[in-house]
Amino acid sequence: MNDIVIDTHNISRIYNPYTIPVYAIKNVHLHLRRGEFAALVGPSGSGKTTLLNLIGGLDKPDEGQIMINGTDITSLSPSALINFRLNNIGFVFQSFNLIPVLTARENAEFIMLLQGRNKKEREERITQLFKQIGLADKMNRRPSELSGGEQQRVAVARALASKPQFILADEPTANLDSKSASVLLDIMYKLNKEENITFLFSTHDQRVIDRARRVITLVDGQISSDTNIIDTSLPH
Amino acid sequence: MILSMAWRNIWRHKARSLVIMVSIALGLFAGIAVLSLYEGMMISRIRTVIDEETGHIQIHHPKFSDENESKYLIDNIENILKKISGIPEIIEINKRILANGMLSTPNGTAGVQTIGIDTNTEFSFSSLKLKIKDGNGFKPNKKYQAIIGKKLAQKMKLEIGSKFVLMFNDTSNNLVSSSYRVASIYQSTNAPLDERIIYVSNYELSDLLGLKGQVHEIGLKLRNDDDVTATTIKLKQLLPQLKIESWKEISPETEFMAKTVDTYSYIIMIIIMIALAFGILNTMHMAIMDRSREIGMIAALGTNKFKIFLLILLETIFLTMGGVPFGIILGLSTTFYFNKHGLDLSGMGEDLMSNFGFKTVIYPEFPLEKLIPLLSIVIITALLSSLLPAIKAINMKPIDALKN
Repeated sequence: MNDIVIDTHNISRIYNPYTIPVYAIKNVHLHLRRGEFAALVGPSGSGKTTLLNLIGGLDKPDEGQIMINGTDITSLSPSALINFRLNNIGFVFQSFNLIPVLTARENAEFIMLLQGRNKKEREERITQLFKQIGLADKMNRRPSELSGGEQQRVAVARALASKPQFILADEPTANLDSKSASVLLDIMYKLNKEENITFLFSTHDQRVIDRARRVITLVDGQISSDTNIIDTSLPH
Repeated sequence: MILSMAWRNIWRHKARSLVIMVSIALGLFAGIAVLSLYEGMMISRIRTVIDEETGHIQIHHPKFSDENESKYLIDNIENILKKISGIPEIIEINKRILANGMLSTPNGTAGVQTIGIDTNTEFSFSSLKLKIKDGNGFKPNKKYQAIIGKKLAQKMKLEIGSKFVLMFNDTSNNLVSSSYRVASIYQSTNAPLDERIIYVSNYELSDLLGLKGQVHEIGLKLRNDDDVTATTIKLKQLLPQLKIESWKEISPETEFMAKTVDTYSYIIMIIIMIALAFGILNTMHMAIMDRSREIGMIAALGTNKFKIFLLILLETIFLTMGGVPFGIILGLSTTFYFNKHGLDLSGMGEDLMSNFGFKTVIYPEFPLEKLIPLLSIVIITALLSSLLPAIKAINMKPIDALKN
């Protein structure tokens, strides 16, 4: 069985193609298998966020092809791409990005409603997710009533609610204190292990890098190293 | 959930939402006020025409209206009166003798229309008694008296007791004249008529013109305004040899005004709505720009363009629904107040109003059948003004919006 979730073929993203071309991403080949917990690292301006945006279908490459679970997302129409994102990709943004007028529960439920899931299914999933992220008692609070760490945990729950193929997280711990970052990483790590969900982070945060089982380093838009780290916690 | 989000979104910036609601309420209030004022003015003008000038229906010799000569008379009055008295809708009958002529005083001359009246019927038919500002109608036991308009009196420097000469052609086209004294001075709400029309006794005018019981005009008042068309048709069948005209035909300018007033009021409404549209457009645009990151985020998550568009439209609908009741309450209560107490427009110039045949005190009246069209205009304006911000929202690229 082919368990490759993300498969990019020689993708490039060029800014100012007709004046002074700048390669934000250059000829990147990347494969991620189901259940990977990978960190995308590199200096600022190396193209981490651009690569995540391309994989997430928020941007289109100027060259190359991106296959997500066997579907070439570069050939999808804008409306098909919206639908594809809804059903296949979970996003966790750097600065929480919850909908402020909705409660934590509604934020997570929102995406399931867009998917047209029924009430029973939504309730079961949301209850389970909020238990997993440790916020079962704060489900009905608005984002403004939650701490930064709690908001980011809700963002993870929302990303997972749609049962995506993988989750893209753009510097998820950048705005969190050490304790909140550690709790968030524990949760994501646990979800990755227990539910075999694929995570791809862009990060500068050493704590995230230390937890990753694969570290992909980008320099000037190109992969300079791609290291698999042996997870000693896995049974031999 | 889009519905719930839209509802909660409008309360995120209470002041901004209130500005839109107040704008919509004021727009609606202005619309109701304009329509009510125009309706009140038109009702007032129509009432003046019917109650003080023409009555509901007039009967003339077929050629009188076209050639306006004294020889075109209505004969067999008794027979005609007998016929029309059988029509139950008719509640008042007033006979008039008319003669166009010249008024002369040592100060000059003026073209006038002399109306020979029977004060017993005329005072009630045209409310002439109420219009008399100086004097008390014709003085008893005195002959050759006239009731003249204030404007004519001022122009010809006439006052109570002043003498003047009236000259006109009789039915045989001979020039006849007689001297009259001013018995009373009247003032109506129609200044041009005040300058032109003088009232004298029908008996004396009949003698001067050499009439033998005939008259030029029979005016009729009906129980209901709505009976005009049906009664006109009935009279035409009953008196085919005579010309039967409703007030709409006699005073076509009033009928035209009544028909065009809607157009004018809707033009003013459109101007008000354009101002309102820019207000809503600007505020909604600000609301979208403030939330561009959030909109980008929900688009990134997989919210399709229709749902984002719906969100903005629903917010506008909620804001509109918030403003509409206040606008209606404010508009209708103001209209109700002035309908009861009258709106004095004399500040605009009494002469200006009366030159156009309007009373200075108007009783605005809102035509309730126009509430739905008015509401539709306001709601459509609000929705159209939110289209541009909504289109801007759906065209946001998530990647750009998230960078903000």
